[in-house]
Amino acid sequence: MSTKLFELLLQASIYTVTISMVSILIGFAIAIIVSAMLLSRQRLFVLPGQIFISFFRGVPLLVQLLLIYNLLPVIGINVPSIVAAIVGLSLCTAAYQAENLRGGFASVPSGLVESAEMVGLTPIQIFRRIKAPIALRLTFPALVNEAILILKASSLVSVVGIVELTRMAQDLAGSTFLPLEIFASAGLIYLAINWIVALAGGLIERSLPGVPR
Amino acid sequence: MKANSLLKGLVGAAFLFGAAVSAHAADTLASVKAAGTLKVGTETAFAPFDYIDAGEHTGLNVDLFAEIGEELGVKIEWVALPWDGVFPALEAGKFDVVAGPATITKKRMERYRFTPPIAEATIAILKKAGDTTISKPEDIAGKTIGVGKATAQLDQLKEFSDTLPTKVDVREYPAFTETYADLAAGRIAGVANSLPNIAFVASQRKGTFEVVLPPFGKKSYFGFIGLKDADHAPLMDAIDAAMLKIKADGRMAELQKKWFGASFDTPDAVKDPAF
Amino acid sequence: MTFDINVIFSHLPEIASGACVTIVIWIVAALAAAVLGFLVAVARRFGGVILDRVFGIVIAVLRGTPFLIQIFLVYYGGPFVGLSLDPIPAGVVGLSIYGAAYFSEIFRSGFAAVPKGHIEAGLCVGLTHTQIVRRILLPEMTMLVLPPSLNMTIILMKETAVLSIITVPELTATLSAIGSQQYAFVEALFVLALFYWGLVEITGWLGRLAETKLTRFRFFHI
Repeated sequence: MSTKLFELLLQASIYTVTISMVSILIGFAIAIIVSAMLLSRQRLFVLPGQIFISFFRGVPLLVQLLLIYNLLPVIGINVPSIVAAIVGLSLCTAAYQAENLRGGFASVPSGLVESAEMVGLTPIQIFRRIKAPIALRLTFPALVNEAILILKASSLVSVVGIVELTRMAQDLAGSTFLPLEIFASAGLIYLAINWIVALAGGLIERSLPGVPR
Repeated sequence: MKANSLLKGLVGAAFLFGAAVSAHAADTLASVKAAGTLKVGTETAFAPFDYIDAGEHTGLNVDLFAEIGEELGVKIEWVALPWDGVFPALEAGKFDVVAGPATITKKRMERYRFTPPIAEATIAILKKAGDTTISKPEDIAGKTIGVGKATAQLDQLKEFSDTLPTKVDVREYPAFTETYADLAAGRIAGVANSLPNIAFVASQRKGTFEVVLPPFGKKSYFGFIGLKDADHAPLMDAIDAAMLKIKADGRMAELQKKWFGASFDTPDAVKDPAF
Repeated sequence: MTFDINVIFSHLPEIASGACVTIVIWIVAALAAAVLGFLVAVARRFGGVILDRVFGIVIAVLRGTPFLIQIFLVYYGGPFVGLSLDPIPAGVVGLSIYGAAYFSEIFRSGFAAVPKGHIEAGLCVGLTHTQIVRRILLPEMTMLVLPPSLNMTIILMKETAVLSIITVPELTATLSAIGSQQYAFVEALFVLALFYWGLVEITGWLGRLAETKLTRFRFFHI
């Protein structure tokens, strides 16, 4: 297999990485809001949060992407391919991240929170100085895991018109009749990217402040 | 009271202004020219009209739209989708026109508007070279034949299969590119697609594929597709005019010769498709 | 835009067939993946270092690449190494192997969570490896592996939608074909989403029911 083909695959993988990374960050932001909704005491917020998570974890990503691209215009929101891809991936990862965060917040040792209350810290201070850092520290591995999942899930965004790594592999395999070499190469590129992400994640995790017991 | 009526007046004026602005913007030709770009949707898996050759988007569509773009004074921006997603996306406004091309059929004409045809689309069978079990179209009875999803070729194949003593095992693929791969691998006995397409594939892979003549489909043509509504009419009229001009001065025939080896004698418009 | 749900209902037989294909492939692949994953986990634990390492690499590859790439390799690359599968068998094989990689990791952590003391006690008393697996590891593990297994089963069900790309006539393929032919894309997508959502919710509910029923196998608090 020629180096030109491999180069083309690498170029397409730039789309894969960029779209995935943006989606993870946006997804994280949405997840914080959704998990706050889940943990709130108001019934009004908990239910929509639960429905959000249920829907985006219950419907296959492929169908979600098609819905965002084709169904939204019907109610007036028309989005170009790249936006549909990022929105789709973000919402999907947000649902999973929200669940992770919820578990993280639930695992904050209640003794710490109680002693903070006794010392006289306000709820906001408790959130900022105790709950948030601990929850984030606890859920960080899951976050890295999500990153890898999204990188793999991005293989589906070709259905909304993005020529990322998998689509490029399909096109090349179709025109060169060399599916084994091309898809194996694409697989290797995904492996390399995921390995780097896992490595980086491990390094960052080690530098995070530890969880007090 | 005064503030109230002032407010109502402002809102009314805003509405009128908004209506005027949107009425103006709804004219697709105007917005395309203002943006300087014509968005074309396609599947990039339909050689030799539109396909990826070692990473490059190429084909008759690319060349022809380059000419159309010059005539209209705009750049061309391509959006690649799986074929069964192209029409929903056209209706959702993701692009201004679809390349494809698509076979001009009665059913499609009810919903969409076609440009002047660019090639013949009559369907024939592509088989593996040296396969002596298929020497005429009727021989596909009882065999597995590949075809693209949501295509007119699929409908035609099914109709033909109904006339045969044993039905054809029709296998639907996301695109024709994969059908050729499976045919070469021996998974299917043949591919049903339009003659220009399979003739091209056979010539690209001499010794792998062979075309089975005569074509068995009803005579049909390929055209580009756009929406039928009033907003798109000026744009589609402009594209039609550009294409007829390209046809009249011989550029169309040149492109057809480049990609098919021969030019087609196509009508200027298809008003009454055969099916 | 009009929303005509009758277009969908007039095609119920096709849709039912597509739904059946989805469910059958899902159940067969999930069972095969669980069994295969379990065997691999056992092999890794009791089969020696080399086997452990080799399987470890294979699993890392299967978990590190998108399912779509794996299925393309099986379906389009297969014929080049003598493995020419039809879409449905290719789909089942691909999904089973993919699932097995994840299930083996789930069982592996399940094994590791069983206190070493219990296993050592079993060895002391003279139980064979098979007996240890059957009488100690499995019962103690069941409660631990149930939630992640349920999760994986649901993930496998959602991945069946990807199989539409290699022409498996499952629900996504069937409904999008109907949607294109009848120009009822909106209705088709709507029904498609509802179906998966419903199936996932029902499966989740059944799973949680199973979890509560099997609580009696817990030996210690998690």
